[in-house]
Amino acid sequence: MIPERIKALLLPITILAILEIWARAVHLQSDSLAPPSAIAAALVEAFQDGSMLTATRDTLISAFAGLSIGGAVGLAFGIALGIFHIFDRLMEVTIEAIRPIPSIALLPIALIALGFGYRMEIVIVAFACVWPILILTRAAVGGIEPRLMEVSRALRLSPTDRVRKIIIPAALPRIFLAFRLAAGIALIVAVTVEIAINPIGLGAAIMTAQQALRPDLMLAYLFWIGLIGYFLNTGLMVAQRHLFGRAALVGDSA
Amino acid sequence: MNRSVLYWRAASFAVAAGFVALWQLIADQRLVSPVFLPGPDRAWASLVRGFASGDLLDKLLGTLEHMAYGWFVASIAGIALGAMIGSSRTMRSYVAPSLEFLRPLPVSAVIPVAIAMFGLTQSMALFVIAFGAIWPMLLATIHGFAAVEPRLYEVARSLHMSRLAIIFKIALPSASPDILAGMRLSVTVALILSVVCEILAGLDGLGHWVLLSARSFRSADLFAGVILLGVIGYLTALAMSMVERRLLKWRSSGH
Amino acid sequence: MNRIAAVNQSANGPRPGRAQIAFSGVTLNLGGKAILENISLDVKPGEFLCIIGASGCGKTTALRLAAGLYQPTSGTVAFDGKPMLAPRRDIAIVFQDYGKALLPWRTASGNVSLALEASGMAASQRAARIDELLKKVGLPNHAGKYPAEMSGGMQQRLQIARCLAQEPKALLMDEPFGALDAMTRQGLQDEVLSLVRASDATVVFVTHDLEEAIYLGDRVIGLLPHPGRIGIELKIDLPRPRDQLTTRENPEFLRLRRELFDFIKASEA
Repeated sequence: MIPERIKALLLPITILAILEIWARAVHLQSDSLAPPSAIAAALVEAFQDGSMLTATRDTLISAFAGLSIGGAVGLAFGIALGIFHIFDRLMEVTIEAIRPIPSIALLPIALIALGFGYRMEIVIVAFACVWPILILTRAAVGGIEPRLMEVSRALRLSPTDRVRKIIIPAALPRIFLAFRLAAGIALIVAVTVEIAINPIGLGAAIMTAQQALRPDLMLAYLFWIGLIGYFLNTGLMVAQRHLFGRAALVGDSA
Repeated sequence: MNRSVLYWRAASFAVAAGFVALWQLIADQRLVSPVFLPGPDRAWASLVRGFASGDLLDKLLGTLEHMAYGWFVASIAGIALGAMIGSSRTMRSYVAPSLEFLRPLPVSAVIPVAIAMFGLTQSMALFVIAFGAIWPMLLATIHGFAAVEPRLYEVARSLHMSRLAIIFKIALPSASPDILAGMRLSVTVALILSVVCEILAGLDGLGHWVLLSARSFRSADLFAGVILLGVIGYLTALAMSMVERRLLKWRSSGH
Repeated sequence: MNRIAAVNQSANGPRPGRAQIAFSGVTLNLGGKAILENISLDVKPGEFLCIIGASGCGKTTALRLAAGLYQPTSGTVAFDGKPMLAPRRDIAIVFQDYGKALLPWRTASGNVSLALEASGMAASQRAARIDELLKKVGLPNHAGKYPAEMSGGMQQRLQIARCLAQEPKALLMDEPFGALDAMTRQGLQDEVLSLVRASDATVVFVTHDLEEAIYLGDRVIGLLPHPGRIGIELKIDLPRPRDQLTTRENPEFLRLRRELFDFIKASEA
């Protein structure tokens, strides 16, 4: 029997090996493909001259700033809508009208209002991140055990304490899930904005490499972006399991 | 009961109308420069004008076409590949981990690669949209096929059902909730990537329209385009959930 | 109440002649563990055989061997004199977990139809046959309902209807009423008896309910656990048709129950 881990690695290794051998055999001259060894060399080079780190920093700053702002707005509205049913019902049409607008459609508006740079990217990322967090938080708060709410009323907790001591801890596991999903969206939207128009970060760098006819560098960036996406997702998933694996059911404040 | 739902709906529309009125007020008072923020009246007028001249309709159809082609290709390929991988344990253990690694990849990052391969063409857009839209369906189909109740396979065996019959009568319907959920996600992805491709490659569509409007500071046209994109997003999501409700009637009933 | 017309229950019973299902020296190991050891057993055509035993004694496994879903490690399982190498369409299995064995996306008639489709019946003939089968199991008014809209008892009747659609020579039932309440269970016991007697099928019925086994069977086999092997065999000579009140009060019934009870107690010790 072959261990599962090796089975998992077999396919990518085979593809890389075939690509390498084929590229060497035909002395590949292409604008879109490069042998894996050249891609690896380009990756090292981009790290050495600092361009990779600068681009990564720019993208991550925009993504996390957007996530924080959008997350805060989504969380606030989500909690409010989850607690006050009247508010929820009144806002329904408005939310359903704004939510389906693809975040990327705001790009031209942000562009004329804010120009190129961090700010327009952060605004678009924030808009994209509001929705998953708002929707999931609303559901999480709405789904809190009614008994807990009765307890908080019996204890005569102030509204602030009710949110801080009962609602947030009880809804936290699902809110964290929402943040994990939103973090993935933030990275995607940030890279997309950079590829489409904004001349900073990893998206712009990969476009530049393409225009400079450097497929090795372009694919090195693609690989690196994939790696960031993978580790962001895996890291948050591990954190989620670590934080809420057992405690998810307890609903106690940490 | 039904009546109170109706009242709430009306109240909710009234609130939305209030926001539009507020938007009008802000625009009229010039609290925000009209270069950035046209009033709803001007955006509406631009919509009407655009449709009257046929311009906007062309762009709308262009975007819908990009979306639909890419989504269609992705659906066929995603479901077929997913069925193949999901119904075989061996395939799953060799292929699934690689797919899990690729899943969080921001799909727009393949745009430069697609440009290098196809140039700034329709084929590039088709490739990018299909590539982006395939993931949710592929992974959902694999999961759906892997999660078929084993008891049903035993029923199929004792009835001597053919492999084809098992796929179409047992595995596909059983995986259909997952597949439909994947297709719903994919529609959204296809819309976003259509807009991005239109912006980048100057392809005829709403993405190109909003970018051009922004570049020449025609904010009313810009907002008209954004509103239409929202309408597409809303209507496609609505259509998908109606299809889902219809096809998955067996699921909601009872319990 | 959908009651099935009382068909003459006493018509058949085991017929003499060659065994229909024959286990000879069957041993089964799964994952290096012996599940069943050296089981030899003949089931005559038309016989109603019940298998009982403590949980984990391998009674469900024995049923799956008879169905052709498992192959023995050594020994043979034969049906009508031919070795069982794969499931056959004329052997129907009623699973205990009816909720998993029905297609949730098909209505009651769609579920029955599945078996008719598999046997290649023309679409034009199916509708009448489906009506007939649903009527037989007491579900004539529920043809358009999805399994999720039906009670547990109704779902199990539906599964039985699908099995009857296979026109089985043998019906293998794996604790079919284990998950149902007592009232539903007694009603279904009587219905199964009349259905089986009307169809002439051989039945192997696995249960952990001793009274159910005696009430239904022509013969009861008790398995001993770890590994599963035959520990007791009782012939049931209670008169048919059987009746929930008089049969269960019959002194012979009580004696058999005592004997099986002692067997189970000893096997668990």
